[in-house]
Amino acid sequence: MSDLAISTLQTQVKPERSAVGSLRIVQTASILVIALVIVSPLFMLFVASLKDDRFQILADMGSFRAFWVSNPTLSNFAEVGNLSGELAFGRYLLNSLIILASTVGAGLIVNSMAGFVLAWGSLRGRALILSLVIALYVIPQESIIMPLVIMVSRAGMTDTFAVQIVPWIASPLYIFLFYQFFAQLPKELFEAAQMDGASVFRIYRSIFLPLSLPALATVSILMGIETWNQYLWPILVTQTDYARPIAVAIATFFGQDSIYWDRAMAASVLMMIPILALYLAFQRWFVSSFVGSAVKG
Amino acid sequence: MMGKRLLSMFVASAALGIVMSHAEAKTVIHVMHQGDPGWVTTYGEVAKRFEAANPDVDIELIYAPHDAYNEKFSAAVMSKQMPDVMELDAPFLANYVWSGYLQPIKPLIDQDILDDMTESNVAQGTYPIDKDLYAVGLTDSSVVLYGNRKYLEAIGARIPKGVDDAWTREEFEGYLEKLSKLEGVKWPIDTFRGYGIKTEWITYAYGPILQSAGCDLIDRKTWKSVGTLDSDPCVDTLAMMQQWVKNGWVVPQSSGTNQFFAEGHPAALAFGGHWFYAEAAASMKDDIVVMPLPKFGPKGASPNGTWIWGITTASEHPDIAGKFLSFMLKDKQYRDYAKNDSAYPGLKSFAADSPLYSAGGPMAVAFEQASKTAIARPPHPAYPTITSAFMQAVDEIFNGGDVKAALTAAAEKIDTDIEENDGYPPFDEQQ
Amino acid sequence: MTLQQPALPATAVATRPAWHRDRGRLFQEIGMLAPAVALLTIFLIVPFLLSFWTAMTNQPLVPRPTPVRFIGFTNFLRIFKDDLFWTSLWNVSRFTFWILPVQCGLAFATALLLHQKLPFRNFFRGLFFLPAITSMVVVCVIWGTLFQYPTGPLNQVIGFLSGGRIQPIDWLGDPNWAMFSIVLLSAWQAYGFQMIVYLAGLQGIPDELYDAARIDGANAFQRFWHVTMPGLRPTHVFVLVITTIQAFKLYTQVAILTQGGPKSSTETVVHYMVRTGFEEQKLGYASAVSVILFVIVLIIALVQRQLLRRFDV
Repeated sequence: MSDLAISTLQTQVKPERSAVGSLRIVQTASILVIALVIVSPLFMLFVASLKDDRFQILADMGSFRAFWVSNPTLSNFAEVGNLSGELAFGRYLLNSLIILASTVGAGLIVNSMAGFVLAWGSLRGRALILSLVIALYVIPQESIIMPLVIMVSRAGMTDTFAVQIVPWIASPLYIFLFYQFFAQLPKELFEAAQMDGASVFRIYRSIFLPLSLPALATVSILMGIETWNQYLWPILVTQTDYARPIAVAIATFFGQDSIYWDRAMAASVLMMIPILALYLAFQRWFVSSFVGSAVKG
Repeated sequence: MMGKRLLSMFVASAALGIVMSHAEAKTVIHVMHQGDPGWVTTYGEVAKRFEAANPDVDIELIYAPHDAYNEKFSAAVMSKQMPDVMELDAPFLANYVWSGYLQPIKPLIDQDILDDMTESNVAQGTYPIDKDLYAVGLTDSSVVLYGNRKYLEAIGARIPKGVDDAWTREEFEGYLEKLSKLEGVKWPIDTFRGYGIKTEWITYAYGPILQSAGCDLIDRKTWKSVGTLDSDPCVDTLAMMQQWVKNGWVVPQSSGTNQFFAEGHPAALAFGGHWFYAEAAASMKDDIVVMPLPKFGPKGASPNGTWIWGITTASEHPDIAGKFLSFMLKDKQYRDYAKNDSAYPGLKSFAADSPLYSAGGPMAVAFEQASKTAIARPPHPAYPTITSAFMQAVDEIFNGGDVKAALTAAAEKIDTDIEENDGYPPFDEQQ
Repeated sequence: MTLQQPALPATAVATRPAWHRDRGRLFQEIGMLAPAVALLTIFLIVPFLLSFWTAMTNQPLVPRPTPVRFIGFTNFLRIFKDDLFWTSLWNVSRFTFWILPVQCGLAFATALLLHQKLPFRNFFRGLFFLPAITSMVVVCVIWGTLFQYPTGPLNQVIGFLSGGRIQPIDWLGDPNWAMFSIVLLSAWQAYGFQMIVYLAGLQGIPDELYDAARIDGANAFQRFWHVTMPGLRPTHVFVLVITTIQAFKLYTQVAILTQGGPKSSTETVVHYMVRTGFEEQKLGYASAVSVILFVIVLIIALVQRQLLRRFDV
């Protein structure tokens, strides 16, 4: 149904034009409705972050006043950004960025290589390994976290950056995702390169990797979100501020007896910014000249 | 190849970590705590002042959020990184002492602080086997009945003067019914179901209702739950609360925790913690009446307990750890912060100093409960199971489940846990 | 994984240099796979195997002075006797049943719309991906407010649209609605990822196929059914498998919003595991739950793959 618009537009059949016009309206309307559904909850978050009084935020919840702010202020952001002394916001932010960049950087390399070999390698038992990888995706982090704590503490890795990076580099989901993307690419690409005498690593490095920008972008963002929001793990394996990430600092706003809604909301908005930046940086590759052009070329 | 290079990179960064963590000859005291940003900053400042007064001591603070605190402590034990001083939630004290992680604290703390503790504060830090004190705190907690003055005047309710003339069950239920018919009142009472079904709130706040009615979560002599939690007074009391919910008298779980002071003041009464006063007073001002918890049976009962401080058995310098705790509990700025946070006093001198809780203050009734009706949650190493089972039962009951069946299931679950652990000796020998 | 025979039988008769090349290729492949395999083994498989062992013991979360006892399959037997476990399994099945059509359907429909040459489509792509980059804690705070009963924004909108005919719904407080409400917010949060995967899949279908179909006289619906759908088959498989596994791991939303209630209607297997392991502090018991979960989802994933493969042929 979807390609109706494209195809009819492309063929420029005149009698269908009014139908096309109304279809366009329906499509645009659907998109706007979806946009409204998607955006309004986030808008509420943003509005709340501009309210100065945490009690007022609490009182406004559960009514449409949650969508309105009469005296917008940026003071919450200033307060969150100003965590000094024991909660040095800048330090945590820097830590998070280091962990994010290292995990995602290493993750892209490690997982894409594995995905490539599973899709195009000549190793026997690739199908078995792939099934195993999918099976591993089933394991929830909560179920391995305590044994893992014991392992890393025996290895003397606690309170380091490494302990927050290395365990999460290889991931079943992303290996599977890369496998999925690579497997979709046409066979001719691989065979042609092989004819030219290129080695497997070279084919991966020079031909398949440049074509998989959408996959790289998707994995970067998903991995970024996951790493950025890691919470229980850093608490368990870090003791001091030395390597603690921002998510742990943000947790202080969600107290036992009362939640500091004003700063919690502002912090939540701030937490989104780096991931948003990551997304904007990658978004043009998300769905760009994917396979189609490669085949045609 | 790539992997190796990465690995060496990580090893390097790990090594950097070791270099950066200061190695010095000072005595290091590790202090594990939770708390919101204000408290975290306050602890940091207290630590600095202590270090200034004791140049040979270095206080290292380890923050762990309250919702991951047990996990963090477990990880610290397993990785042999136990702190010297730890904050802990009072009902879990027995579990920690039984497991051998806390040491008696009396010899390590200044005598004047020990003498200053309220009965309720002593109760929350006491281990029932040896009746010894294992933790101290500046603060404690309580729950009171908040009322909307206008609504209460409209139905002509009697306002209790103090804990001794608290409402009886009959009075209380009568007022609930009257309030339910009063214009402007959507719900006669908020029992803060909005906190969720798996927070300590349920056991903390509803447990004393059972005690007031003449039963308990578990028999505190035989440490058996069957025959106590599923006894008639308990079944009757929870059936009463179930009926309130059925009548539409209680603010539903998904209506938030703000209905007492939200626009139009939909809830007339609030069965809320001492911390709720600050939230409510911010928008209701003088319209709040603070009343003692009603008596549901022969005696009054009220919750107590909060996060308190203990010294671990792993500490190599318990004397210095105790010195730090004594220093903190007397620290002026620390107390000022607690006061501004409307913290509930656990030390008498602090109460006298808090305008909110001292005689004549708006929350004086709440503090009166500490010496008259406060009862600690069951001090038993099986507490994690006790509270989990009770929460489960209350969720079942509030959603229309069979009261007797739900309480029986909970009681059996608790007893099974105790049996599986051979009665947590020496708790099985207590009579 | 040391020396292996070259994979293709044809190479046996190949010339020496070719054999060398194949062996080199094999080494390269092993080298490229090794980092992932090593990391997964150390940080996922080994701890998981350790939790197999823990599942056979009475180990508590906070270590105790008393020694940990080996108790065989006692934990497993207790789990199978616990009604709450079966309830949690039934609940995740219900969740999966709902989330697959809602989330994947929404993602597919949105991807089809955004695949068109509509104005600002890149803007909308970014916009629709926003929830996916919002942390689940924040999402829960937002939706907890939207779901408020009886005057929350969602109920007000429904009341307005229905002219007051539909009574307010206690989204998270009514045992009949709670799981569906969790489905709604989960779909809202996570569908952006599936949308992106679908968009990439759509992009992967060569235009020539559509042109050929058009020449053959296929109408829009036929083109959709005979070109788009088959072209997306691997994408469907991927999305289906991933979404199912994610659904069985449902935890965070439930932990924050309903804690398994009301009346255990949103208790999930992972939540049950955390409840027993971290709150009741029975680590051994919880490990046994995670082993059972692993086996169940593994079976489902295998069956799903077999079924989908059968439909392919």
